Amino acid sequence: MEAFRVSGASPAVGDGAIATNISAAADLTAADTRGAWARPRLRVRYPFTRRTPLLIRVAYDPRSLATRRTIVDKRPLYWVAGLILLAIVPLLGSNALLSSSTVFAMYAAINIVWILVVGTAGIWSLATLAIVGVGAYGSAYLSITYGLPWWGMIAIGPVFGLICGIIIAIPAIRLEGWYYALLTVGLAELCRVYAVQSQALGSSEGGLYGAATFIPNGVSQRTGLVISFFAAFVLMLAALALYRVVNGQRLGRLLRAAPEKQEAFAEALGVNYRAARIRVFLISSAALGLIGGFYATYFTGASPSLFSMDNMMLLLAMITIGGIGTTGGAVVGTLIVVLLDQVFVELGPLRLIIVAAIMLASVLFTRGGLFGVATQFSTWRSRRKSERRAQRSERGGEVMPDEATEIRDKQTIYVRRFDETVRKHLRPLVTDEVIAEHKRNPSGPHSDTLERLLNYFRRAAITDKYGILAVKSFAEYRVIALSGRRGVPPRVVDDKVYATPDEAQHAVFLRRVQDLMQS
Amino acid sequence: MKEVLQVQGLSAGYGPLTVLHRINLTVYSGERVGLIGLNGHGKSTLLRAIAGLTDWQSGSIQLKGREIGGTRSQSAGRNTHRIVRMGLSLMPQGDALFYGLTVVDHLNSGAFTRSTWRERAARRERVLEIFPPLRKLLAAPVGKLSGGERRMVSLGRGLMADASLYLIDEPSLGLAPSISKSLIAVLCQIDLKEGAMLIAEQNLSMLEGKVSRLLGIHAGVLKGGADALSAASLNGFASAAR
Amino acid sequence: MQIDPYYVIVTAAMLASIYGLLAIGISIIWSSLGLINMAHGLIFALAGYGAWAAAQYLSAYGPVVLVAGIIAGALVGMLIGVLAFLPLYDKPNYVLRSLIATLAISLLGQQFMLTAFGPRSRPLPPVFGRASFHFGTAVVSAGQLGAIVTSWLVLALIAAWARHSRRGLEIRAMMRNPEGAALVGIGLRSTAMAVMAVTGGLAGLAAVLLSQTYFVSPFSGLTPLLKGMIVALAGGLGSIPGAIIAAVLVGLIEALTAVSIGGQFVLITQFLFIIIVLLIRPRGIAGIIETVRE
Repeated sequence: MEAFRVSGASPAVGDGAIATNISAAADLTAADTRGAWARPRLRVRYPFTRRTPLLIRVAYDPRSLATRRTIVDKRPLYWVAGLILLAIVPLLGSNALLSSSTVFAMYAAINIVWILVVGTAGIWSLATLAIVGVGAYGSAYLSITYGLPWWGMIAIGPVFGLICGIIIAIPAIRLEGWYYALLTVGLAELCRVYAVQSQALGSSEGGLYGAATFIPNGVSQRTGLVISFFAAFVLMLAALALYRVVNGQRLGRLLRAAPEKQEAFAEALGVNYRAARIRVFLISSAALGLIGGFYATYFTGASPSLFSMDNMMLLLAMITIGGIGTTGGAVVGTLIVVLLDQVFVELGPLRLIIVAAIMLASVLFTRGGLFGVATQFSTWRSRRKSERRAQRSERGGEVMPDEATEIRDKQTIYVRRFDETVRKHLRPLVTDEVIAEHKRNPSGPHSDTLERLLNYFRRAAITDKYGILAVKSFAEYRVIALSGRRGVPPRVVDDKVYATPDEAQHAVFLRRVQDLMQS
Repeated sequence: MKEVLQVQGLSAGYGPLTVLHRINLTVYSGERVGLIGLNGHGKSTLLRAIAGLTDWQSGSIQLKGREIGGTRSQSAGRNTHRIVRMGLSLMPQGDALFYGLTVVDHLNSGAFTRSTWRERAARRERVLEIFPPLRKLLAAPVGKLSGGERRMVSLGRGLMADASLYLIDEPSLGLAPSISKSLIAVLCQIDLKEGAMLIAEQNLSMLEGKVSRLLGIHAGVLKGGADALSAASLNGFASAAR
Repeated sequence: MQIDPYYVIVTAAMLASIYGLLAIGISIIWSSLGLINMAHGLIFALAGYGAWAAAQYLSAYGPVVLVAGIIAGALVGMLIGVLAFLPLYDKPNYVLRSLIATLAISLLGQQFMLTAFGPRSRPLPPVFGRASFHFGTAVVSAGQLGAIVTSWLVLALIAAWARHSRRGLEIRAMMRNPEGAALVGIGLRSTAMAVMAVTGGLAGLAAVLLSQTYFVSPFSGLTPLLKGMIVALAGGLGSIPGAIIAAVLVGLIEALTAVSIGGQFVLITQFLFIIIVLLIRPRGIAGIIETVRE
């Protein structure tokens, strides 16, 4: 509260700063009244953090003086509504829809974890599905050979994932960026070739089948499907929670301090971004291994197609279409691709073409997938607007293309535009007669034309406004320009000295006319 | 006198930053113009804006009467090669060399336009006469050269072109005073024919008396206008700015 | 088991020449355009079909097939340039977006080939005749010998062209410093298309040469892409001598692995090789042989 008061009380220069301070002050008074008079309200916070689920801003309406509560960030609401919808809709549909939804939830979980690797850690690994595959193969193998139960498979998955992650992470220590992406593609292919050719991993049957399943014996098909759907849904929620914890807490913040190309800077500040990256990578590898274990119990086995390039491409299409780097993008992109893939089954290979075409289009035309379209459109619009504005006033008093985005107070732009229009109308009024009239009779009465000009000059901004300095009364006058800042004396414009105030006034008039014609 | 370069109301900058504020500048043929200003006041940005390399710019730039400016807010450098082919030669700060290529490759690449490519051997001879130390280094990769030699390669590459406007950005930067003095002396003796030369420099004493006129640039605004500033007032300006 | 050194040498030389052609393409594209071309395998496969179509409908005469493959490769390369480079190169996040774009293009192209030509593999007519020669204890077919000779010849031609022609200087300059290239009047877009055409042509040549021993199929691009990537990475992206040395080494490793411990371990040993190289020298073999750096 003390800090608030100080910042609210200190007057700041600049329009934007004043505006924000006013709202801060309004927040302060609102909080004060609430503390003193209103009933204490329940504050919900996430455990162990000071975060509230919804950020609500309280502000006074300047006209009616009523308190207004606005939700600053509505995304949590959208998330809750979307997730509830996702949990309910499959239950109403057919069996096919249920099993598609299970696949969707599983892929969404994989993608969310992958976003952690790609977005948070900034490691371009394309071996995500390979880690899932290793987890699936490992747990399926143990289950088939040693009779591991389904919970054991899910528990052992992270171990395989972690081992695989450590192996893949070794080159990541040395390799930067894109080299690494290429390497991981090869590693996935290596896994595929091994899985296809190895006898122990069921090369003859085209996969490893017969692992334990978590669906109890004797339940109906529908019940089994519902159970597996909710299991996958919980998996997705767990992935979201993991993302939240890793990305929103210390590791994520460390890594956000060291974005690409500024790593050296972060390192100089003591951010050990390499260790943080590897840690995020290993955490997500373990999570992917767990998803792999789940995959193996759900499908009661694993097949080499897990490692195939096509599947990896589908996964990449999901996160690309939704927008790389956001969980929302990952979930929505997964939804779109799974819908295309499962609903239009009768289209055959054509649907892969559709997916690839959408992926190509989204990467060519959008910067951040579907989720970035809105911001991209608004930046595009503001750029076009400011470009047009700059063209309209190629030499006028208006604003430059990028200056326009800087000026937060739109009024400044409009004032400048109005000023430019006024000057455009005034310029033709300046004629030799008007100047002669002013020379004859500087202090009026004036003709209408001259009066218009003078009125415009009089209301010029105080900065750089001309004035007359009486060096010696009735003998010596000079033209000065005001600094516009308190404590900074005006400067003398030139070394001409005028004998009478009238002469000096006319000199000022001439200067102003000259400025008007030149602007 | 013919105008080689006519800049009117040029504003330019990087991202949200406006570096140049409505610059007006005319350079006539046969002129050597010195552009004096401190670090960060827009010398390089002015030269880069003329070559179309800034993030955004607005205002008119005419090279030999043909418009190369205009308003744009993206695609930096997309038109640079076209502007260069119209007769501009920019020797940038930091040299923009092709590391790994040899000195002779650099000189050849300077004569890239179709007409000059044919007579590249003769042009190379001319450049080597201007910078004799390069003659022994022709086959050496530029990564092995010293700073002064690299600057010579960069300048030589720029001089290989058949340009009507040479923009030279800080020829003395990072060089020992004696070397930079002789470099500038060499630059000021080159036969410009119909062309003109604009040299940006921090150090007034380097250019004083060697160029046809001097312009000051301060906080993105040209000081000095069309008529030449007296060296004394520029000195005062420079020391006041310091 | 007895390892036949002559057989190993022949196989290694054959593989090295094919891999070299692909890896140099990938390497040049990366260093001059900053584009990781995941669709290089697509160029390979489509060029194979181009050559096959020429043999089917035009003439099965060797040089015709060879030239058809090269032209088809160049055209596909330029198409990829138009789709993935021109719209993106001055946009934010260029490297990532172009990488994904080339991946999408390769998926698109693969499915297109699958629907247009079917999954069946197609053989190419022999370009170099059917004769065979004895080299020590090994038998060398005309296809293998022709592939080795042609690819090294073409590589030498390309190297000479890059060193002495105006276009070559243009590409070399752009590989080192795109802004400097613009400052001497080199247009990025036209040069990029030239690069894509040349590297596409190299991939097309590789496709025809390899198809002398293998077949053309929609999925025939993936393995060459991977091997090309391995070689380009091990050689150091952007270095032509590095890529050639790496191609020879990788070819040798593949031949040795295949005769000693079996074909399924080829990828594993190659990956071990590349990981070891990159762990020692993150810039690949180029980091060892090149003395001048940026």
